[in-house]
Amino acid sequence: MFLAAAFRSAVSQTARQVRSLHQSAARAGAGGVFVHRDTPDNNADTPFEFTEENLKRIDAIISNYPIGYKQAATLPVLDVAQRQHGWLPVAAMNKVAEVLEIAPMRVYEVATFYTMFLRQPVGKYFIQICTTTPCMLCNSDSILEAIKTKLGIKVGETTPDKMFTLLEVECLGACVNAPMVQINDDYYEDLTPKDMDEIIDELKAGRVPLAGPRNGRFSCEPAGGLTSLTEPPTGPGFGVRADL
Amino acid sequence: MAGYLHVIRRALGQLGGHGGVKGLLVQFLRAADVKTGALIGVDKYGNKYFEDSKNYFFGRHRWVIYTTEMNGTNTMWNVDASMVPAEWHRWLHCMTDHPPTTHPPEPKKFLAQVHQFNVSGTSQQYVPFPTTSKKIHEWVPPKAQ
Amino acid sequence: MLRLPSVGRALATAAKSSMARNTVPVRAASNMVEVFVDGKSLEVETGTTVLQACEKAGIQIPRFCYHERLSVAGNCRMCLVEIERVVKPVAACAMPVMKGWNILTNSEKTRKAREGVMEFLLANHPLDCPICDQGGECDLQDQSMQFGSDRSRFTEGKRAVEDKNIGPLIKTIMTRCIQCTRCVRFASEIAGVEDLGTTGRGNNLQIGTYVEKMFMSELSGNVIDICPVGALTSKPYAFTSRPWETRKTESIDVLDAVGSNILVSTRGGEVMRVMPRLNEDINEEWISDKTRFAYDGLKRQRLTQPMVKDDAGQLTPTTWEDALTRVAGALQSVQGNEVAAIAGGMADAETLVSLKDLLNRLDSENLCTEEVFPMSGAGTDLRSNYLLNSRITGVEECDLLLLVGTNPRYEAPLFNARIRKSWLHNELRVAMVGHNVDLSFTYDHLGEETSVLKELANGTHPFCEVLSAAKRPVVVVGSSALQREDGAAILSVVSSIAQNARTSSGVEEGWKVLNVLHRVASQVAALDLGYKAGVDAIRANPPKVLFLLGADAGCITRADLPKDSLIIYQGHHGDVGAPMADIILPGAAYTEKNATYVNTEGRSQHTRLAVSAPGMAREDWKIIRAVSELAGVTLPYDSVEEVRSRLAEVSPNLVRYDDVEEANYFKQANELAQAVNQELIASPLVPPQLSAKDFYMTDSISRASQTMAKCVKAVTEGSAAVDEPSVC
Repeated sequence: MFLAAAFRSAVSQTARQVRSLHQSAARAGAGGVFVHRDTPDNNADTPFEFTEENLKRIDAIISNYPIGYKQAATLPVLDVAQRQHGWLPVAAMNKVAEVLEIAPMRVYEVATFYTMFLRQPVGKYFIQICTTTPCMLCNSDSILEAIKTKLGIKVGETTPDKMFTLLEVECLGACVNAPMVQINDDYYEDLTPKDMDEIIDELKAGRVPLAGPRNGRFSCEPAGGLTSLTEPPTGPGFGVRADL
Repeated sequence: MAGYLHVIRRALGQLGGHGGVKGLLVQFLRAADVKTGALIGVDKYGNKYFEDSKNYFFGRHRWVIYTTEMNGTNTMWNVDASMVPAEWHRWLHCMTDHPPTTHPPEPKKFLAQVHQFNVSGTSQQYVPFPTTSKKIHEWVPPKAQ
Repeated sequence: MLRLPSVGRALATAAKSSMARNTVPVRAASNMVEVFVDGKSLEVETGTTVLQACEKAGIQIPRFCYHERLSVAGNCRMCLVEIERVVKPVAACAMPVMKGWNILTNSEKTRKAREGVMEFLLANHPLDCPICDQGGECDLQDQSMQFGSDRSRFTEGKRAVEDKNIGPLIKTIMTRCIQCTRCVRFASEIAGVEDLGTTGRGNNLQIGTYVEKMFMSELSGNVIDICPVGALTSKPYAFTSRPWETRKTESIDVLDAVGSNILVSTRGGEVMRVMPRLNEDINEEWISDKTRFAYDGLKRQRLTQPMVKDDAGQLTPTTWEDALTRVAGALQSVQGNEVAAIAGGMADAETLVSLKDLLNRLDSENLCTEEVFPMSGAGTDLRSNYLLNSRITGVEECDLLLLVGTNPRYEAPLFNARIRKSWLHNELRVAMVGHNVDLSFTYDHLGEETSVLKELANGTHPFCEVLSAAKRPVVVVGSSALQREDGAAILSVVSSIAQNARTSSGVEEGWKVLNVLHRVASQVAALDLGYKAGVDAIRANPPKVLFLLGADAGCITRADLPKDSLIIYQGHHGDVGAPMADIILPGAAYTEKNATYVNTEGRSQHTRLAVSAPGMAREDWKIIRAVSELAGVTLPYDSVEEVRSRLAEVSPNLVRYDDVEEANYFKQANELAQAVNQELIASPLVPPQLSAKDFYMTDSISRASQTMAKCVKAVTEGSAAVDEPSVC
């Protein structure tokens, strides 16, 4: 009896530790499975309308493409829809198809392909933490742990107040400033667990903290000061034969 | 000479052993054979079992004369090999030399207590039927008003 | 003299250049390039793909995603071949050949590439061939035997994909899918229903509809054929037979007037399934869902023994002798026009001609078809009036198509697929006068009133400009539009439109403009044989004995006839005609006889006997031959060959199989049509089959089919209504 229980808990612990090789981030995260399942807040009948302002934006986007090639605007228009609604319910995808005069399936194909299109609801602040090799080497695990303890959620979950969603993602291209997280559109870089706590506190308080490196760097310059190009640049004629 | 004498003795023995000319005729018509031998036993239904290994070669030396009435059915002219009960079947088919009269068989629960007649050729016979569905479903005309 | 050598050189150059002029332009005009396949020289057109070049050389390259009638996707990589002096193997299906290439189809590198691709494909493919319906006709199975490795290095867990419910016809086992996207391309290119797509990415890529949805197309069954693996299989055929157990019979479909060529798979006297057969002139390699799946109707509601009505009015089974004697007696007891016959939509030419001969010998001329066709004007005297004269392939050559009062998508799905093909690839412009229906492509809807036709005929409609600008116009009128009371007037006005379009286009003499699209398989043969179209004559002059030859459209009822009249029904299904009959003679359905049918183009084709008729049912012409003998007017033919020679006497085109006899005299027909009453009724032109639910059940066979009933239910109530628990 006891042995069985211990064995079961051991197995489940291990299973939680091992990330399946075949489970991509897209599958594990906000995207979920690649088929649609009707839920109360995500079905074909939920109302979705573009705002007046966004319709103008869409017109401008479509006008970038030749006549008869409205389909080319699928990506930006989906993005507009996602920004308006926070995520992409199936009703929004249908609306995009209607606006672009293409079959809904063609929109579903695009939306399921890209991991940045969120087909399941996310919180107001969507935290994506990079745990790929450079960030991992700079101890991104501690940042992840900090977020988990601070918010009390696991990867792929949303806080009960619908404020934060946490997702572990692959490289976001800011390896120079590792470790980093992306919250909505902003990158917060060079983090320590303390920084992460502060950022979340700020967000909870309703303020948006300044994006960028948190260790005093301006951008992605070398952390320990310049190691090359330290002297002032030489003037014209440098290294040129004197007789010229 | 002795050979002829033996034949005549046996012919007379047939007449006597079957109860005269009539008995011999009945036996001949029922079993298509006339043989005399030692009566080894009679089973519970009245079938008589004989043996004569001196005059007949092996395989024909044991035989049965069926009863004329069995379980309320007249079996005078309508005999069936299944009328031999299991205990005698062993002896009759030379599986053993011990008839059940001297060596009573162990009772087995799977042996039929009362003989059941073979129903082949009667209306109760088993007819195999297909369990697959019909290939063609015919139209059934509507009932006239 | 000194100059001579230079003159000689000049002459030589001139000669060479003239030679070059002779050869080079020929080369350029024919656009041929020379390539080598395994060292063998070959001339192919520029733009030919490597795969096509190899095909031309007689070497088949293994492939999964490539299909001749679909766009090139190039995603399965099975067709990788080595090209000499090219670093990497190329995908043969997508790579156009270059001059001088030597394609190595069996080199070490090619074989290794194939083996590697096959190993990847099999990594995620389940090993369930023993329970897979595709087993035995599976491309993956065949090609892995031929080109694959005998072992795998894949030790991880296999991917599993959820099955989709896309309707009552197609069973999906998506774990078997190798993502060739043939079905997706078929749906969007041929069927014109963009319901299928790929969702997800990478290892999680899957084919599906994303939302729960039925794959709603009248051609949906074809994805079963084009699926190279067992991911899409037939639901009604699931687990019933194996391809090597069945006997295949080449036959013709009669459920619509297109006459699609089919392959009937039978096992033990039972039709197991119906598959398409290649015929470039008719159905290419597709068939409609009704053709493919209505076969279970052949096993239900069948008339298997002769029946007669007893004194209580109840139909009771009887012997052939009794039934035939009664029929013969009835025919002898009446004279002349007191006996009439109505031919239904699936009657074959042999039966039609023997029935006509029988009635003619009894001095009756009352032979009608159920389908109405205007008889005034030239009527059915000129063949050009009732044929699809420009043929199905003609749609690919025309540049403007005017549809009048028809919905080809459901009346003739393969014809519609042709229109769509031409619309997609040849920029065909389509216009429609009639109900605004979804044809799976866009068209100019000119309105559904008959007044539009008048305007088009007299040139006042705005669309007339387009019509007159067309170089090769085609006008197609649906047979249902001609069955209205003003059918003759509609035919007349349509023929005027066609005649005007022909004159203004200046197209060559052989080009046909006017076309009639029929809906039933027997109509053209019946009209060719001289049957009267429509039952008006019978209604006006009720006969004492009425012979129904598979007439199941319900165009005539008991109430139309006198009380004491006798109705004989000969056919294969107890549908509409049989319950009102007094005597029933069980006939054979189209899979059960060798019979001639003429499609809407006037192309004569014949079905072949695939299974024998059930029970006591017999081939139809033989029944009529037997009746004639008992009635004392023996018909002079004893074999099907003799019937066909009789057919040839009446109308030689009926026995010239697979050949289309051209019709002509359009102008004369038009002139004659001017004589008829030109009054058009104001009611709109609405064809009877508007949406998918009208498509599935149109005749006695499809009405008896449970699969078709399920389709109707799925269309009206959603595919979840007919969902069955999956066995596998």
